[in-house]
Amino acid sequence: MSSRSPSSVTPVTQPQGGLKTTDRLLRWIVVALLVVSVIVTTLYTALSIYIATQLVYVPQKPNYATPASLGLQFKYVTFPSRTDQVQLKGWYIPGVLPNGNLTSQRTIIMVHGKGANRTDKSAGLLNLSGELARHGFAVLAFDMRDSGESPPAPLSLGYFEQRDVLGAVDFLRSGPIPYPALGRTRIIGGWGVSMGAATLMMAAAQEPVIRAVVSDCAYADIIPILEREIPKGSHLPLMFTPGGLFATRVLYGMDFYSVRPEDIVANIAPRPILFIHGTSDTFVPPSNMDALAAAARTAPNANVQTWLVPGAAHAQSFNTEGAAYVDRVVAFYNAALGPDTSV
Amino acid sequence: MSSQSFNTFSGSAQNPSSQYKGSALRGALVGLIPLGLLIVIVAVTFLLTALARQLVASSGFFAQQQAAVIVLIAGLAVALVVYIIAIVRTLRSITAWQRGGAVGQARAALLALGFTALVVLLPVVLALVLPQNPAQ
Repeated sequence: MSSRSPSSVTPVTQPQGGLKTTDRLLRWIVVALLVVSVIVTTLYTALSIYIATQLVYVPQKPNYATPASLGLQFKYVTFPSRTDQVQLKGWYIPGVLPNGNLTSQRTIIMVHGKGANRTDKSAGLLNLSGELARHGFAVLAFDMRDSGESPPAPLSLGYFEQRDVLGAVDFLRSGPIPYPALGRTRIIGGWGVSMGAATLMMAAAQEPVIRAVVSDCAYADIIPILEREIPKGSHLPLMFTPGGLFATRVLYGMDFYSVRPEDIVANIAPRPILFIHGTSDTFVPPSNMDALAAAARTAPNANVQTWLVPGAAHAQSFNTEGAAYVDRVVAFYNAALGPDTSV
Repeated sequence: MSSQSFNTFSGSAQNPSSQYKGSALRGALVGLIPLGLLIVIVAVTFLLTALARQLVASSGFFAQQQAAVIVLIAGLAVALVVYIIAIVRTLRSITAWQRGGAVGQARAALLALGFTALVVLLPVVLALVLPQNPAQ
């Protein structure tokens, strides 16, 4: 400002009543700015908190059936998540060998999607669990936090839920043995759908005990999906999404920006991964599978397979392909986990 | 006292430019007090929210959410009230300086308040301009 230049120094004091028009104008501009900033920021903050509370709360659905409805044996199990000890509920279904004997040598951890549970009628999770059991794989199907019979918790789209998958691994490795006569499980694989698949990959990336991963319609990065879904669900403009996501961080300690399976999927190598995605998936577009497969293949010893299911909508590949889906997944697990030696 | 006399003497001996700068700096600092208070209270609120979340973690999700939301909203409400009070007091000081003829000091404080308003608006502006790529 010219008034601050040495050549035109404003006098430190002026006679009373000598207030310039520019000073009066400046005062009004600043006051107006202050009022606007307080109102706008307060409203933005309040709506961001509202978005955060809505985003993390999903009503729990009860499980609609048990493995007994498929003629399978099972036991109810309860185990804590890793790190935060959330008590999770599930079923342990022993595998059925061709001779009718039961086995627990190879166990598949089934990880459901958002707003679902261990039966997930829509994705056919209970039926798929039954199919895997009949093909000789024991199944640990459990409800992640805030799902089915497990305790309510903030939904974090994989950020906290990966602890649940790791808890399932701990349970299989060192928890009480559901069928003592069958012994402890020898080798562990994982199957996940949608959020469950993303969560499974994040858990497998840090837990080498998970020897093989089937990822059905996982997202590579949750942020683009939230940027589409939050405005749709809240009926607020896109600009409220970053505020809502920041508010979830403050309120619940979760960071959605780090829910990016594509950043860690390469760590799963050399363990094999089978990516499955429906071509008609509009919720998590098939480009997510391309991104995940490309990221997984950056590992020098990567073992990656992909299967684009024609006409399948989100989480509908099993329902669309039926027996072909089971055959492909079973063949993948047999190759990755090896045969059951108790036959 | 001699030292006081000396200080007074040296103060009056300063040139008008440095005297202007000193009073302008003081005005700017006073103008930044509301922003400083806001930042401190918001930071403390975030810390208390995290603490509340940890303290009631064993009581279940709903109790945890309730505690976190209450602490956050209460903290932000306190921050808002303190911020507004600080702004009103600063504006009163500015009026007094203007009436007393300390125009440079008043102007610096006003500019600091304007800067404060822009900083407070910054998160909203960033949310508007940050690139977002919603899934198709």
